[in-house]
Amino acid sequence: MRLQLHTQADEIQPFLTDESSAAGRAEGIFFPQNEEEIREALKFCRENRKPVTIQGARTGITGGAVPSGGLLINLSRCSRALGMGWDEESQRFTLTVQPGMLFSQVQKGLAEKEFNTEGWSAESLRAYRRFGTAGRWHFPADITETSASIGGMLSTNASGAKSYLDGPMRAHVLGLRALLMDGRALVLRRGGQTARDGGFRLRLEDGSAIEGQLPGYRMPRVKNASGYSVAPDMDLLDLFIGAEGTLGVVTEITIALAPLPKLSWGILTFFEEPALALRYVQALKAIQGAHRPAAIEYFDRACLEMIHREQVETHAHLGLPLLPPAEAVYAEFRHPDQEEMDLCLHQTAGLLENAGANPAETWLAVTPQDLDKLIGFRHAVPESINRIIADRKREFPTLTKLGTDMAVPDDKLEWVLGLYTESIRALGLEGLKFGHIGDNHLHVNILPRSELEYQAGKALVLDWARQVIAAGGTVSAEHGIGKLKTAQLLAMYGEQAVAEMRALKRCFDPQGLLNPGNMFTLEGGA
Amino acid sequence: MEIVVCLKQVPASTRVRLNPATNTIVREGVELMLNPFDAYALEEALRLKENFGGQVTVLSMGIPSAEGILRQALGLGADRAVLLSDKRFAGADTLATARTLAAAVRKLGTVDLLLCGRQAVDGDTAQVGPSLAQKLDIPHLSAVRRVRLLGNRELLCEKMSDEGCLKIRLGLPALLTVVKEINTPRFLNLQGYLQSLRAQVEIWTADDLQLDPARIGLEGSATWVVSTAAADRRKTGKDIPGSPEEAAASILAALRQKGWSKPEREESRG
Repeated sequence: MRLQLHTQADEIQPFLTDESSAAGRAEGIFFPQNEEEIREALKFCRENRKPVTIQGARTGITGGAVPSGGLLINLSRCSRALGMGWDEESQRFTLTVQPGMLFSQVQKGLAEKEFNTEGWSAESLRAYRRFGTAGRWHFPADITETSASIGGMLSTNASGAKSYLDGPMRAHVLGLRALLMDGRALVLRRGGQTARDGGFRLRLEDGSAIEGQLPGYRMPRVKNASGYSVAPDMDLLDLFIGAEGTLGVVTEITIALAPLPKLSWGILTFFEEPALALRYVQALKAIQGAHRPAAIEYFDRACLEMIHREQVETHAHLGLPLLPPAEAVYAEFRHPDQEEMDLCLHQTAGLLENAGANPAETWLAVTPQDLDKLIGFRHAVPESINRIIADRKREFPTLTKLGTDMAVPDDKLEWVLGLYTESIRALGLEGLKFGHIGDNHLHVNILPRSELEYQAGKALVLDWARQVIAAGGTVSAEHGIGKLKTAQLLAMYGEQAVAEMRALKRCFDPQGLLNPGNMFTLEGGA
Repeated sequence: MEIVVCLKQVPASTRVRLNPATNTIVREGVELMLNPFDAYALEEALRLKENFGGQVTVLSMGIPSAEGILRQALGLGADRAVLLSDKRFAGADTLATARTLAAAVRKLGTVDLLLCGRQAVDGDTAQVGPSLAQKLDIPHLSAVRRVRLLGNRELLCEKMSDEGCLKIRLGLPALLTVVKEINTPRFLNLQGYLQSLRAQVEIWTADDLQLDPARIGLEGSATWVVSTAAADRRKTGKDIPGSPEEAAASILAALRQKGWSKPEREESRG
């Protein structure tokens, strides 16, 4: 075999974790650079009956890339752009990349109009030349952690603040190439192969086919990253998006690009009371059409107080004015011209005044530099939480982050905010709420100060999950299930549905070697 | 206190993009922004006004689109905005710019304090502020990181220097150029922004300033840019294998081969 299998402990060690801090074990690791080498690595795993875990940039926080034995295939060296296209019908460029290319690398290449074009086809080079003079373009999928890989984003159907307007990763994937565990390749294009009445026959590159039944569960009607995305007549491309690597190894991804919006402005608005912030959020959510916000994000008073404390005590967050102790809502707007933006801002001023906020005390970012500061603030909230947890872990080593990723239907938003607030208060816990309120999707974090509080917090999160499921919500709206939330997935869909998920996986990977333990255990149970 | 803040519009990116097909500079979509150092000068002026009263006037020399940064300053709390815009101002070096700004400051009337950013991020000369003070015959301090008002007509300033910090008293009127350590600029707010849409930005030409055309713009400049070139920042890195000692020896050998180092001197030092 030409591809090297690294088996030294110090070579494997750095790749046993992801950002969830869960730690796994593995006997060896491959670093393939192209599809041929991935095929070679899979062959080795198959012939030696080794389970294999596929890794991208390991930025996930549910342990999807953490191995539980067997071998690792790390795709960080599959990081090239493979070609570009121009789609006449939709009047947009497309980019085909290897799965290990990072989101930040894609955006940088697009911003600087510079890709390594070695080996590109004549058609790709034509599109690239056209792209060179075609103004500014970007990849409109939005994520908070920009060091994520495109393959990871696809496998988790990643999303971020601006997914409120642009949708999650799924909305931006036009096609993929993947290898199944047995080495056969498949090519999927948007609109190419579809299921019929819950059954599917997926043609592979070599002319053979895989047939099977899709799980029959109903997806919640909310932003969702829990379990396979299924529908009776679905586009089979969607089956691979968000499958957490359980069906095949994606080797090429074609994504849709979009012209960079001419104006992207953000407003951070402060409120005295959560109810007033919610009134403003509901008004923003009611906006449809051209003035619809790109993002609506919420931060409770505890978040602002935490950042304020760091600003005063450690001079952290330089460049950001001192935050007031208040509830805050961030809204971002995009418009092709100034006149539209100004109209939109007049409208927004009215909305926030109706909700009791003072337009003179808002923070308005009108330049990319100021926008970066507000985005930096948003990013600082989870990072500060991680620092606090890390500090407390020194005293209570068993502590882990207790954060949620649940989303509820529109009419349950007020209820769920009240649920979180009241139950945290009733138990006397320290908790913070922030996140994608436009999608009724909040990250609630509990910061335990003792082992007792940690246990109480854990029980509370499970209780919330039960109530959110009963209200038609999801246990994971964007982080995915990975290996850490399998019990919650089971609670959400039930044993029958998870058995159907297992059966689906067996159609593609009969021996259960590929990414075992992601979403569900192969043996049953949670 | 009557404060004037000088603002400059600069390109938002220092990176020159080339069209991969034609190797020519991509000019479309080049964004302009307020010179970052000037934002600190404006913030300091607004704080002084809030604490001690008075009026803040923002002043810029530039193309008509520079009205944008002046309007932004009005939205942030400046009271009056003046744009010096005239084809005859074009191509000015720092000397001709300072002459033009000085004429505008004189036309404004009584001014107690002039604030400028330490330098503009496009030209990076840091000359216009001090030169403007010289033209107006008032004292100036550069690289100021703290300002306190002593009584009515005197400032106590902290000026950054290579050795640390100098505390200097100076009488008004005076000109200060400020560094980014001086404050954290505020964000625009929605009310200020919406009000600024209706605000007036005054446009002054060379005629308004009664300036001799031979003393302004390219013609009045003492220096001319002969050519400009973008530095090639592409990394052409190379892996150098071996232990640190071996790697150091290979680097030294490579440098010697290129004639970048003198063996005798290096060895006599060792």
